[in-house]
Amino acid sequence: MTLDYIEISGFRGFRDKVKVTFGRGFTVITGRNGVGKSTLCDAVEFAITGSIDKYAVEKAAKESVSDYLWWRGDGTPNAHYVTVSFITDHGEPFTITRTRESGSNRSVDEIRAALCTEPAPEDALKQLTRTSIIRDEWIAALSLDLTETERFDLVRSALGAIDGSESGAKAKEVVAAAEAAHSRNEAAYEAARSKLSDRLVQQSEAQATLTRSGDVTAAIQVVAAAVPNAPTELTARIAAGRRALADRRGQLGRMGEALVLGREVALRKQAFNAPAAVAERQRTSDALERARQARDAADDAVREAERRLEREEATDAIAASLTLLVEHGEKLGLHDDRCPLCAATRTSEEFASGLEAARRRIAALSSEVQAARDALAIARLNAREPAASFQAAETKVAANADEERRLRAQELAHVEYYDKASLDYRFIQDPDGLEQEIARERDRLIELERALLILDASQSVSRISSIEGQVATLRGEIEKLADAVSRSQAALASAREIERSVRRVSAEIIDERLAQISPLLNELYQRLRPHADWKTIDYSIRGDLRRFLSLRVGDGLNPQFVFSSGQRRAAGLAFLLSVHLARAWTPWHSLLLDDPVQHIDDFRALQLVEVLAALRLDGRQIVCAVEDPALADLLCRRLLSTSTEGGRRLDIDLGPRGSTNVVDDVEIPPMPVGVLRGSSGLQVVGGA
Amino acid sequence: MDIQTQAEIVLRDAQYETWTWTGSTAPVTCFESAALMGFVHVFETASMLLEGWKASQQSALARHAPSLRAAGSKAWNVYSVFLTSDPTPLHTRAIERIEEDFSLTRKIARASVTTPDDVERALLPLISIRSKPLLGASNFESRLRSRLKDVPHDAVTAFLNDTPSIEVARILGAIS
Repeated sequence: MTLDYIEISGFRGFRDKVKVTFGRGFTVITGRNGVGKSTLCDAVEFAITGSIDKYAVEKAAKESVSDYLWWRGDGTPNAHYVTVSFITDHGEPFTITRTRESGSNRSVDEIRAALCTEPAPEDALKQLTRTSIIRDEWIAALSLDLTETERFDLVRSALGAIDGSESGAKAKEVVAAAEAAHSRNEAAYEAARSKLSDRLVQQSEAQATLTRSGDVTAAIQVVAAAVPNAPTELTARIAAGRRALADRRGQLGRMGEALVLGREVALRKQAFNAPAAVAERQRTSDALERARQARDAADDAVREAERRLEREEATDAIAASLTLLVEHGEKLGLHDDRCPLCAATRTSEEFASGLEAARRRIAALSSEVQAARDALAIARLNAREPAASFQAAETKVAANADEERRLRAQELAHVEYYDKASLDYRFIQDPDGLEQEIARERDRLIELERALLILDASQSVSRISSIEGQVATLRGEIEKLADAVSRSQAALASAREIERSVRRVSAEIIDERLAQISPLLNELYQRLRPHADWKTIDYSIRGDLRRFLSLRVGDGLNPQFVFSSGQRRAAGLAFLLSVHLARAWTPWHSLLLDDPVQHIDDFRALQLVEVLAALRLDGRQIVCAVEDPALADLLCRRLLSTSTEGGRRLDIDLGPRGSTNVVDDVEIPPMPVGVLRGSSGLQVVGGA
Repeated sequence: MDIQTQAEIVLRDAQYETWTWTGSTAPVTCFESAALMGFVHVFETASMLLEGWKASQQSALARHAPSLRAAGSKAWNVYSVFLTSDPTPLHTRAIERIEEDFSLTRKIARASVTTPDDVERALLPLISIRSKPLLGASNFESRLRSRLKDVPHDAVTAFLNDTPSIEVARILGAIS
């Protein structure tokens, strides 16, 4: 399968529709820098994969190459599309068209089916374009300057998928499943062992209990006495005994509390009813009565003094009114010999005499108020002490009453506690009797507990036989689980062996295939002869999980560090061409080179042309874009053109409006044959 | 080994017509294909090669001058091949530098040509790619089986077919 033609419109630097028909043998494209030679390679890659992978930096200033796939210059293209057409060896076309608006007319599976044969590598279309289109960027970045891991991956991809490549993942899953099963078996085994240990401890304890057992008949009688209505079955009887024991222990506790309360009540009552206390309360009562009488007498005296003062103050008020009246009359004086107060006819002497008489009368009226006040003060002073004495006596009597109330309340609480705890009322007034009863009950409970322990121990015989049965069962289970652990461990080892073997066989296959392409690499290296002294190149592979492929020249030297940049590019080109030729998984036999001779001197450029000519002799279609017209001439002369696999040469340039056009498109005819033979008069032998 | 004969074998294998012509001093092998043509000159010693290659080239071109003038652009594809079996390392570099002389013809000049491989290596620029890696089936399955002799056969078979991983683990005995 080879490239037949491409047709592009509005793609990258091609605004107007351009159709480029490729020579079945070769096509040489020339043009100045920037006229769009690379775009023709880009178009092929874009048609196959839907993207252009050559830019190492995917994004710059939030833009990527995808923002520049379509024409962005002046003017508007009639359409935006890329069409690439292939033709099979039998002349059948396969065409892919990608438009800006609706993408590809072919599905990925269709393209893959047409361009790849199985077993193809993962991401086959990307690998296909990566190994078919050799760009200056690839030669520089992906040849000798590749990391050794990337180089290994590139070669492995070029070799195609290897049978059983999915087995690695499956082997990992099998190991994971075996590990999980083994872990489960181990956990079950450990759990069974732990359970067995528990049972053995129980067995040992039961045996120890059995050795402590006493008179069972006596014990049954004790329990029967304690719980008369208990069932006769031993276990139920023990359970009833345990419940009764717990109940009676609670009651014993309450009896203890009642005893404390009873003792407190008795003590307080005894103190309250003591003769001295009774006499003291009587004395206090008498003193209160006396104090009350003294206080009442003093209060009477005070009230009498108050009444006197009231009377005197009323009299004094009349005197004050009279004083005002007299003073008013005096101020007015006689008026027409008449008294201004009573209008009686008076002389001045009579009037003055009358005023004097009135003043004396007023003085007499007011002279008793102060005496009454003094008497009240004395009476009040005299009343204070009886009042204080009365209050003190009253306080003492109240305290006695409080004490009696407290005693009664305590007695009541004592009785209520007996009610609540259902205690025997006989002991309300008899703490000593209660104390003796508590001691007897404690003895009875000890006997009951002992009896219950004896009955418990009597049950150990049957428990031991039950535990022994469980121990035997568990030991059987442990044997089975140990077998399962052993089996799962062996299975895990087998799973790991499978995983290891898969990895090793896969690695060996890759190593063998690399060994198979080694002569090709060396032949291409020898043809390109990047270095005069080091005529061969070797590779080595190392690493198990991550694999590395290193190239070596001379005595183990890394060409990356001993070659000049031009030599590195020549050696790298040999490497990339060997990868291209080693692909057995694609019927597409086109090699596209985008300006492969940068930084290479004329001699090595000539050798590269000879290598391309050798590839051409093998039937490969060569598409090569170069800047130098002389180099284009050389390519056109040197690459084989035949009547069925002809060559073409295209010159492309920018048109007046900035869009790229094909300015010259010529077919390269086959060379004449028998040139030397015509001038040789001697024998002609061999040949095609 | 006769270099001349061996060169003709290699060239004929590569679809060239070859014939010999007795030049001024020694026989010359002429060759021509659809794209290339040229002459193989063999020298007894490296010194003779260094001294005589220009004369030999000139002699061959002169003899075929009329044909070459009529050959058009094919006349640019003329190779002059200068070979000697002399193993002297003294002149090796000087001989190889002849190839960097681009006047008149493209030159191939090698010393120490003693084996058929040496001849083929010297003529590589004229012939198609020799190494053709044949990457056949890898027999992954049979190779894995032979590695896993100690693993139960049915488990390996289950692993290699579509049996789920958990089932493979069960067959291995991990799960009872």
